[in-house]
Amino acid sequence: MESLNLLFDGFADALTPINLLWVVVGAVLGTAVGVLPGLGSAMAVALLLPVTFSLDPTAAFIMFAGVYFGGLFGDSTSGILLNTPGNSSAIASSIEGHKLAKDGRAAKALATAAIGAFIGGLLATTVVVFFAPVLAQMATLFGPAEYFALAAFAFLAISAVVSDSMIKGLAALGIGLALSVVGVDGPSGTSRFTLGLPQLFDGISIIVITVGLLALGEVISVASRIHRDPNHSQIRPSGRPWLRPSEFKKALPAWLRGAGFGLPFGVIPAGGSEVPTFLAYGTEKKLAQRNGDTDFGTTGSIKGLAAPEAASNATAGTAMGALLALGLPTSATAAIMLAAFQQYGLQPGPLLFERGADLVWPLLASMFIGLVVLLVLNLQFAALWAKLLLIPRHYLYASITVLAMLGVYAISSSTIDLWLLLGIGLLGFVMRRYAFPVAPVLIAVILGPLAETELRRALSVSEGDLGVLVSSPFTITLYIVLAAGLIFSAVQHLRRRKAEAQQQDRELVDA
Amino acid sequence: MSITDKTATRPDTGTGTDGADTNTEPAAPAPKRSFWTGRSELVVVALVLAVAIFLTVGTVTMDVAGDTVPGPKFFPTIICVMLYAVAGVLGFQILRNPARGKEAAADESGPDDTDALDPDADGATPDPKTPEPKTYTDWKTVGILVGSIVAFILLLPIAGWILSAAFLFWMVCFVLGSKRRLFDASLAILFSSAIQLAFNALLGLNLPSGFLEGVL
Repeated sequence: MESLNLLFDGFADALTPINLLWVVVGAVLGTAVGVLPGLGSAMAVALLLPVTFSLDPTAAFIMFAGVYFGGLFGDSTSGILLNTPGNSSAIASSIEGHKLAKDGRAAKALATAAIGAFIGGLLATTVVVFFAPVLAQMATLFGPAEYFALAAFAFLAISAVVSDSMIKGLAALGIGLALSVVGVDGPSGTSRFTLGLPQLFDGISIIVITVGLLALGEVISVASRIHRDPNHSQIRPSGRPWLRPSEFKKALPAWLRGAGFGLPFGVIPAGGSEVPTFLAYGTEKKLAQRNGDTDFGTTGSIKGLAAPEAASNATAGTAMGALLALGLPTSATAAIMLAAFQQYGLQPGPLLFERGADLVWPLLASMFIGLVVLLVLNLQFAALWAKLLLIPRHYLYASITVLAMLGVYAISSSTIDLWLLLGIGLLGFVMRRYAFPVAPVLIAVILGPLAETELRRALSVSEGDLGVLVSSPFTITLYIVLAAGLIFSAVQHLRRRKAEAQQQDRELVDA
Repeated sequence: MSITDKTATRPDTGTGTDGADTNTEPAAPAPKRSFWTGRSELVVVALVLAVAIFLTVGTVTMDVAGDTVPGPKFFPTIICVMLYAVAGVLGFQILRNPARGKEAAADESGPDDTDALDPDADGATPDPKTPEPKTYTDWKTVGILVGSIVAFILLLPIAGWILSAAFLFWMVCFVLGSKRRLFDASLAILFSSAIQLAFNALLGLNLPSGFLEGVL
């Protein structure tokens, strides 16, 4: 029950008027960014990072907690109303959500999504409060080999298992790792790949990379399509955003099942919430078939929306736990939060709970507060948020471009960073154009230095004996799980390719 | 070509295009069926190879300080090997299976990998919305956008934040199809001035004021 006491202290810190203000600011910003199609909380946090330099760390993180969940509350809004999910995690909830909206129940769909996000987030944050300290305790036993195993696991899981194409994921990973080795090498003091430019001695700032990949890359990619793609028509939400008790009763088990899928996935470094949201969606679909539920796939099923929405927020919540306790980011947003911690000289991981307790517990407390604020914001004002979608796209992307430049220039007032930003923006565009996943680049840039340091440390202790990497039960288990995951996904990829090839043959015959 | 490489040379060349752009051009006029049709993805292979070569050169010519074992060349070497392998496999895949017609343009179809994990979610990807947009990339729009950003970066130290940011804002609006030129211009000035004010006054961050220095 020690956790509870610490959490109450955290609430005492977080409930000061000024910190409450930051939660609300974060929640509003996060929802706004989430609602806008193509933008997610990862980008919001990346753009806000430089702006928060003048805040004290507690205030900054409290705001980030609001942004973090806010993005998830908002991203289903555009999916439901426009059928353009704001984030890949909202794809599954858009399927039934948009059908509900077309059926004239848009307000109800938005309410179901908001309550689902709330329940998922609430359960996940509760789990984090009780288990993160235990996880952190366990992690104090980790040595260099264990940390390297965790980083390698994160690298391969995010790039090979979760990506659409294994090789594309690995290419993205390699580019990210290459970016991460630029700068002066800590242990030896050697300057690497800096071309003699002193501005690069500290490496390429993570802010430049995330803003370039996520914000500028998105803008360029929108520009490449804007005169090509058709416009989507928006459905105006009407009616009251309340659920009748009977509907609530129907949705409740779906919310809980969804959260159940989401909770474990947050801790696994497997690239965010696409997998759990689709698993949750698939389960509801199967259950609907068994129960003879005709709403599903026709007029839209509340359950089919409730489950993936709860799953995505539950994943996000426990991902925060993994980040705090292990220092291991399991999604792109978590990766940028890690960069934010490092910016303030804090290293998430086991020691954070001892040394940074005055930061961690207010942060966890403000996650709870943020969820309540977000529930109110999204239930009451869902229709208002939908108005954001009426902003002409050119103003939206013009502001994002200018803010991206501002955010990067604010780091060190150097134009070199702006050139880097443009280069990485173009990289982000090329990657989007050819459907390369961006998340492995971010994970590689953030965990790359850790992986390198721990690998070299492990090998220098063992005097070059590679056996040290697989010398403990923990590392062996991790590598076995990883190998199983790789084999499983390779089989799935092959099977799918075969099915596709067969289908093509059939099409050829038909033609 | 690595990112660092690019930026180092760009101010000299003074253009916004870099390797990634010029390499893709052969793919832009898609109607003709050339070797590049459906194979423009080879740009990515070139990019990965360029990064790998840059890392190799950098690793070989590195002045190693200190005598830590494994040294600073150790990790980059692993990355190089990985990048060459990835470039090879990727290139092979693209040459053997060029993207066909529509699929060449399936830019942002999102991850449908999840279908693989849940066979029951088939047909789940929300795609009935797209009635076959044109496939190839709109290079004109991208070119003007990138050009404006280059101009912004060059202008920033000379013209100051307010003017150059307003210019960038206006250009992005224009290139993305806004028709209200005058309104956009006033909005752009308002936006950039608001940022300048907020940053200089509230956060104490100095944005360059350029030749307006004395006036402001």
